[in-house]
Amino acid sequence: MTAPARDPGLQPERTALAWQRTVLGVVLGAVVLAAVNLRTDQPVLAVLAGLLAVATIVPAVLRPPTGGLPKDGLLRSWGFLVRVVALVGALGLLGAASAVRSLL
Amino acid sequence: MTPSAQGPPDDAATRGPGGPAPTDRRPRSVYGVGEDPDVRFSLANERTALAWVRTGLGLVAGGVALTSFASLARLSGVVDVIAAVACLAGAGFAGYALLAWRRNERAMRRGEPLPPPTGLPVLVAGVLVLALLVAGYAVTEAWAA
Repeated sequence: MTAPARDPGLQPERTALAWQRTVLGVVLGAVVLAAVNLRTDQPVLAVLAGLLAVATIVPAVLRPPTGGLPKDGLLRSWGFLVRVVALVGALGLLGAASAVRSLL
Repeated sequence: MTPSAQGPPDDAATRGPGGPAPTDRRPRSVYGVGEDPDVRFSLANERTALAWVRTGLGLVAGGVALTSFASLARLSGVVDVIAAVACLAGAGFAGYALLAWRRNERAMRRGEPLPPPTGLPVLVAGVLVLALLVAGYAVTEAWAA
């Protein structure tokens, strides 16, 4: 069996797809939030949400999380995970800010 | 390097023989203990963490949707409060993904049984409460109309 043998369970592919739909969800959420804030005349929040979408999509396109193994066979996903969690947290805070802003 | 100098006591002591010490891998609290499990299990753990992130993302998206409906249809402030709570809860569950991933990876590296998913009952209770709040709001609105 060669070292980078193909996994019959397609685990790297499934992991890559999980990453992709997570990132896609963040981008879509940020875009929707930006659109909502445009509709409700909140330019600052709209720009922040748009920036969040850009900050999510640009690194994901430049260096896509493949879910596969790097050359040394050691997984290093913590950095990606922390980043996507931070992005979701920022989106949650922005969404809460939008809700509070329209409440006032 | 003495194991008792710093870090957990099983650091480097329980690491597999011949396994290179991957000191550059973060977080040290995970990769400093035990030895690498089957990589498929690590990938499964990663997907589980991502599923938690998407769960939190779903809550955030629901909150955003509620806010947009509230602002477009001029609903009362109750909806905005529910939306804000949903957004913050979603951010919290995304953060829980990190904790759960860390805990599970540590357990797998040490060959211990996996810890119970403590976030699950919280999530179920939270979604239930949110659903009841929204349903209660809808019923009272229908009543008033």
